[in-house]
Amino acid sequence: MSPLRGSDIPCLEGDPAYDVRWPWQDGRLPPGLTCVFRVKNEARNLPWVLPPMFRAVQQVVLVDNLSDDGTAEVAQRVAEECGAADRFRVFTYPHQVSRAGSEHLATRHDSVHSLTHFYNWSFSQVRTAYSMKWDGDMVLTREGVAVLDDLSWQLEDTSAVVAIPRHPLSIESESVAWLDLGFKFLEPWVYPMGPEFTFVKAFEWEVREFPETSRRIVAPEGLCVELKWLDQDEFAHWSAMDFDASRAPRKKREWQVYSALMEGKGEQVPGLVRVEAPPGVHVIDHVTDTWLRTAERPLVRRGRPIEA
Amino acid sequence: MVDAPSPSTGPAKLLETSHARRVVFVVGSGRSGTSTMAGSLQSLGMHVPQPEVLADETNPKGFGEPQWVVDLHDELLNRCNVAVSDARPNAWFDAGRLNNIEPIRKRLHAWLEEQFTEEQHELVVKDPRLAWFLPIWRAAAMRCDARPGYVTMLRPVTEVVGSKQRAHDARANEVNRTAAWVNLMLGCERSTRGEDRAFVRYHDLLDDWTVPVFELGQAFDLDAVKSAAANDIRRVHQYIDPSLRSAPVTWDDLDVPRRLREIAQELWVQLEKLPGGEGDNAETHEALDQIRAAYTDMYDEAAAMSQSTSLAARRAGIREGERNAPRGVDRLPHWVRALFPGWLRRGLRKAAGRERS
Repeated sequence: MSPLRGSDIPCLEGDPAYDVRWPWQDGRLPPGLTCVFRVKNEARNLPWVLPPMFRAVQQVVLVDNLSDDGTAEVAQRVAEECGAADRFRVFTYPHQVSRAGSEHLATRHDSVHSLTHFYNWSFSQVRTAYSMKWDGDMVLTREGVAVLDDLSWQLEDTSAVVAIPRHPLSIESESVAWLDLGFKFLEPWVYPMGPEFTFVKAFEWEVREFPETSRRIVAPEGLCVELKWLDQDEFAHWSAMDFDASRAPRKKREWQVYSALMEGKGEQVPGLVRVEAPPGVHVIDHVTDTWLRTAERPLVRRGRPIEA
Repeated sequence: MVDAPSPSTGPAKLLETSHARRVVFVVGSGRSGTSTMAGSLQSLGMHVPQPEVLADETNPKGFGEPQWVVDLHDELLNRCNVAVSDARPNAWFDAGRLNNIEPIRKRLHAWLEEQFTEEQHELVVKDPRLAWFLPIWRAAAMRCDARPGYVTMLRPVTEVVGSKQRAHDARANEVNRTAAWVNLMLGCERSTRGEDRAFVRYHDLLDDWTVPVFELGQAFDLDAVKSAAANDIRRVHQYIDPSLRSAPVTWDDLDVPRRLREIAQELWVQLEKLPGGEGDNAETHEALDQIRAAYTDMYDEAAAMSQSTSLAARRAGIREGERNAPRGVDRLPHWVRALFPGWLRRGLRKAAGRERS
């Protein structure tokens, strides 16, 4: 089947519904920031992830990829509870996507099974001048909401890219979690929409391009945490566990932390901080509302930055 | 499907006890009553961090501005190359970048924390430069566990520009000052959207200050206002200067291009809906966003058209910098030069043809 006329990236499999058509081809995009979630089985996390995000950005797009835990329904419910249903759109991407690592490497960039195509298709749903990639397990803190809220309009008419440090938070129970402040996990998340800012294939996963002339902002620490539940396999979406520290140092560190915590040796990992919430407060709320806000800066003292 | 947990409501309760800390940020264009508002709140018992900027002939009753805040803002403006009165839409981005620098956030937080005491738990911070750095102040208030409130003073642009013309040297022209007012007010509105905020008309404050200030006390839950004694009230009456009421300035008194005047006027119409809070709604926000987009387009066109002028100024600046830059050995600090014996320095100067007379 030949691709539909007007598609910018026809998919290898020839399904016109999953060709990529960039919105800027239809005219200038209005100001604003859209957060794009590509999620699979994030029903557990979304009640923490979505409410602060609705406070921070103008639009939210959620692309559900073969979830079987009611992710889309939970997301819709949370959006309605937040009074943000009119700023929230849910899409379904019904194709199995290659896992990061060797599976991804073996998949053509324009296949519906490629992370690269999945990202490009997901971001083609954006209808504002700026977009933000966000994971379904990343929770903004109060400061994070304020910073993104400000950037969402200050970035208008610029071509800047924003990198945001995040801090992995391993949840042991409702009242205890471990915050990884041993390394600086830094990744660009916020980009303008346009032909110079699309996704291309890298070895283990996709990367988003941007011109060298783009101004780059690095947001301060303490803006978001990445939830890791110790009672579930956080590495299921990887196709190999033999991480090469030089190519995927972030995953290597996460695996080290996860292994230590599963063995009850969290105290022995440098930079890993045990946080206990007061009675009646969930540890995620405690960390994002209180603990990080009041913690002394810099949060990550001796860690070298790890960039995706 | 798993049972999705609901986030606990606990932390909000935890923070309740310390919400007695309040900080009111007074923003708006200069000469639009920001000093009068800050001074009124101070007269009622709110604390303006000391020392303050001294009064002068342009504001004989004082500015209500903490000197530390003014000095910091001057330093930050210089650092991000933004002017107090700056018409560039991108100036918001340039100033906003500083919000991402942790040492600045930390410095502001440390200073603000020091201002709160058992006796002084309600602060008022005002400076015409403040609007550029509200995100950093917001973060500092958050870290101090203080509830921030934002008061934006509204005065017709024609009077602000006219008023400024009387108060200062007419260095910048009316067009640029009108554009800077548009940019500033759009930014003030956008950066406080969704926060505890109030918009107060300058004329309402002068006509009967008790109404807007009472509303402010209720909206922001300010002890100083809610429990004001008769003497406090008298102090405000004595503070507010009725002579500030001046003959209105209209568009007929200014020479501003039609398109800019239309944008400024439409902005004023929308801003006028905000006092009282009822008009602070999605419809007004949408209209203000459209005005911001229209203003950005107009500014970009004007900047593109005047690019030759800015490039010429840039070339002239580079030449000027080259002329004034230290040359050769003069770039070395004195202590480095002093390491060489005098006879050697004299010899080198002679060889370079730069002997001292």
